[in-house]
Amino acid sequence: MTRLRFVLRHPFWQGVILLVVAYLAFTIGVQYVPPLFGVSSAPVPHSVVLQYMFIAVIGVLIFVSSDELRWRTFKEPLYATLVDRDKRWLRMGLLVAVPVLLGFETYQQARPRVDAPIELRSIHPAPPGQISFRGKTIQLSGLENPLRKAGAMADHLREGRRVYYQNCIACHGDHLDGQGHFAHGFSPSPANFSDNGTIAQLTESYVFWRVAKGGPGLPREGTPWNSAMPVWENYLTEDEIWSVVMFLYDQTGVQPRRWEASPEEQKNPTGTKQPTTSTGGPK
Amino acid sequence: MKRMTLGAVALAFGLWGCGGSKGGNAGAGNSAVAQAGGSGAGAGGGAAGPTGNATVSGVIHFTGAAPANPKIDMSQESACQSKYTSPPTDPQYVVSDGKLGNVFVYVKSGLPVGATYPKPTTPAEIDQNGCLYHPRVFGVQVDQDIIIKNDDNVLHNIKALPKENRGFNISQPSAGMTSKRSFTKPEVMVPLECNVHGWMHAWVGVLPHPFFATSGPDGSFTIKNLPAGTYTIEAWHEKAGVQQQTVTVGAGETKTADFTFSAPKA
Amino acid sequence: MTAVFAVSAPVHAQNGKVVYNKWCAGCHGDAGAGDGYGSKAMLPHPRDFTKGVYKIRTTASGEIPTDDDLRHIIEVGMPGTAMPEWKSRLSAGEIGAVIEYIKSFSPSSFKDTKAKVIAIGNAPSGSGIDEGKAVFQKLECSKCHGMAGRSDGKSAPTLKDDYGNPIRPADLTENWKFRGGSSVQAIYTRLRTGLDGTPMPSFQDAIDNKLITDEQLWRVAQYVHSLSPEKAPESREVIRAARSASALPTSPDAPAWQNVERFWVPLVGQIIAKPRWFAPTVDGVWVQALHDGTKLVLRVAWDDPSKSPDPVWDEFLGRMSKTLTDVDGPLATQQGPDRLVVQWAQHPNDESKRPYFLGGDAKMPVYVWRWTSEPRLEEGTETGIAKFTALPNGRVTQAAKYVDGQWQVVFTRPLESSDTTQVPRFNAGHAIPVAFFAADGSSGEDEIRGAVSTWYMVYLDVPTPKRVFVAPIAMIALSAGLGMLLVTRAQRRVENGGSAADSSHTEER
Repeated sequence: MTRLRFVLRHPFWQGVILLVVAYLAFTIGVQYVPPLFGVSSAPVPHSVVLQYMFIAVIGVLIFVSSDELRWRTFKEPLYATLVDRDKRWLRMGLLVAVPVLLGFETYQQARPRVDAPIELRSIHPAPPGQISFRGKTIQLSGLENPLRKAGAMADHLREGRRVYYQNCIACHGDHLDGQGHFAHGFSPSPANFSDNGTIAQLTESYVFWRVAKGGPGLPREGTPWNSAMPVWENYLTEDEIWSVVMFLYDQTGVQPRRWEASPEEQKNPTGTKQPTTSTGGPK
Repeated sequence: MKRMTLGAVALAFGLWGCGGSKGGNAGAGNSAVAQAGGSGAGAGGGAAGPTGNATVSGVIHFTGAAPANPKIDMSQESACQSKYTSPPTDPQYVVSDGKLGNVFVYVKSGLPVGATYPKPTTPAEIDQNGCLYHPRVFGVQVDQDIIIKNDDNVLHNIKALPKENRGFNISQPSAGMTSKRSFTKPEVMVPLECNVHGWMHAWVGVLPHPFFATSGPDGSFTIKNLPAGTYTIEAWHEKAGVQQQTVTVGAGETKTADFTFSAPKA
Repeated sequence: MTAVFAVSAPVHAQNGKVVYNKWCAGCHGDAGAGDGYGSKAMLPHPRDFTKGVYKIRTTASGEIPTDDDLRHIIEVGMPGTAMPEWKSRLSAGEIGAVIEYIKSFSPSSFKDTKAKVIAIGNAPSGSGIDEGKAVFQKLECSKCHGMAGRSDGKSAPTLKDDYGNPIRPADLTENWKFRGGSSVQAIYTRLRTGLDGTPMPSFQDAIDNKLITDEQLWRVAQYVHSLSPEKAPESREVIRAARSASALPTSPDAPAWQNVERFWVPLVGQIIAKPRWFAPTVDGVWVQALHDGTKLVLRVAWDDPSKSPDPVWDEFLGRMSKTLTDVDGPLATQQGPDRLVVQWAQHPNDESKRPYFLGGDAKMPVYVWRWTSEPRLEEGTETGIAKFTALPNGRVTQAAKYVDGQWQVVFTRPLESSDTTQVPRFNAGHAIPVAFFAADGSSGEDEIRGAVSTWYMVYLDVPTPKRVFVAPIAMIALSAGLGMLLVTRAQRRVENGGSAADSSHTEER
């Protein structure tokens, strides 16, 4: 008990504990923070952890050296390891282990790596102002889904359901999450419509453009592009695409982004949940 | 050995002989199974459905040239192929002298509605021999046991593909295996097949009464122990289709109901 | 019992109908007949609920499944088919309601019958893979599943399901696609129950007839389990071509290949260019690569139950064309050859010139090796899928073998290229984009209908440069030296009277 109190009060061990806690927080803890705000998180990259740890070490050193007595107590175990007779084996061990560890890390940095080149591409490239659909010019900016003002919604949704299950399900899946039974064969993965980062951030005209023109119709900033998204104007009529776009929103329960609304209104247009504005969405 | 087995099967059914089948076909399979007499024995004891001593019999005629039965390539199954002296064929049409065998004839309607007949105590039996089913066409009563035998030392699976009943799919990987199954609802006909040997087919008619028969190689059939009445008699053939007749029999009478089939136009 | 059914079931089924119509009807159809919008292109077709016949059960052959059986399949889905897991989407209550609704499509099956569950014990202790193999042979499982388990058995071409659709025996070397799960217990259960609606029978009667023991059936399950890799292969983006010091193996069955790392490249249906194909035979290729500084050898192996064209598969092709209708036109009536296309970027080191993964286009063609089982190999370029132009003086060679339901093809080509505008030079130390296309002629596949991958990378190992070892050694020497220095200085100071900190420390001790 007294020993534990001694350890907890000793600046050296305080520093060690602090660094261990910091390391665990960086590697394990951090990824639990974004989900608290409803955002998914990826693991923290190794290089970032290294940078953070460097800063943490500096912080600890500043803390222990800010007071003369504390600095001296801090150094005690270090000196003991260097000189004490009964710590001979620990000393020898460290003298072997630390250089070997450093050598290994250096080798890891220097060895040739079998990595694919990193590809940078824009997830939501800006759409063109107008497209040519089967020879007909369609003005995209300001365009709403024309089916929302014509005919019965139930009919459009039934038609959209048919189009989806006949054409889209293999990749985008039953859950509309981009996990269809062919999805594992494609990289990048098919779009996950249930994710807040996809159709929820886009106008229906944007989705229409992506469906109509597919991977090959992407602008320059979308490349190098391996998208397997077909050019659906080769298979589907204009109405079929509009109806399947409508089906996507209906089945996932999200609202399309609107053109008319000002940014304030966009945040809460009609009491429905509206996604935050995106970086790549239509402007 | 195999002939003896077949003979035993035939005897157990109280059948008429299996002689005179098509030349050299060692399977001799399509032995006539006219069964009403055999199973009728059990019918007398029941309380419910009426029986009698009237008989409907007849001959199934076949007009025109019988289509050639397709050859079966059994080269992958030497244990079966070796049972044949000439290349085996799939006996879809058992025709001799203008008479058609393997036609299932049964009373389709005319019995009192809801009449029940106790199931016979003797099980029906189907044998897999020479990679063909024997018999190929037969009838059973509801809940009557069907003994499924394998006389081939190869893997067979026997799969029932009913519409009204529950099916089954049993593997019989060795000679000497027997399985017992039955059907709980009337159904004409339940197809049986083997997926290991895609050419193997048989049909079983499941009826709530014992008044059915299968025409022998000479085309003849007999349905015995009928009560007096007017009946719709249906004749079923796997390729040539179905036909119906109405027959009225008095007590103790024997009436003739002949049918004439021909090959369906392609 | 009936009273409970009458009161609670309709309410349940009503909720179930809402869930069913939203999530299930697209494939299984509004009336549960397995004829939804998505059904036509799928093979296997979605389940027809009106028959009350289910593959994955814990009940005897021909019996209805238990509610738990239905729940299990809805929760985990059916690997290798379009049926996904639903546990993440539907609540337990919703699944329960859907089960009641599904059962209502076949009232006669579920009303009159009570499911008879087969008691599944535990696997016997120890492993009896050798015994399992012997029993596997005794039961003649190879009649359908093939000698090596690759679904190339003699009866495989004739198989159909209860609806007349073509069906393939499971590829026992790919257990991650087993419909009812890949565990030994799952396999054993399938052997006891059979897969209703398919040609797979129950082996229950073989035990009842004392032809085999229950334990032996477990051994078969263990053996079948052992035919697949421990874990489902994961696709890795980079295919490594190790540098070989000895002569490169150029035949497909050279023993040297056993020591070369295998890379799994999953393939899926080509559903981009017309005619699309939703039912590919080939689901992936195993790729191995080696080079020696002057030549690259690439070994590609893939399971294909038929060596096409082969007349015994005519019947199967006929069934395929009857079953898969209405998707971009009819299938070929004649069997073509089996095909493999290995596709490369023409300018592998220039990312801005990465061609479209599906055969490139007119602006950016791809460089391809077109192999068919005739056998024939052509080297050329494509400007879109199957838009092929042969190149003169091709320098790639092939050696192919068909063994127990698997094609094994070795390609050999010099790393150098005389014409780098069309034929890439394979530079060591660089990632070279590669993609694959495979087609099975016996199931109606051709130049366009087949299975595709997106881009992968082949990386040719470079000899490890000397500097890689210099830096770590220098680092070790430096840090060890510094450490020694630190220790000796500190000790010398103690010997010479020591600092205040040190003395106080020693006193404390």
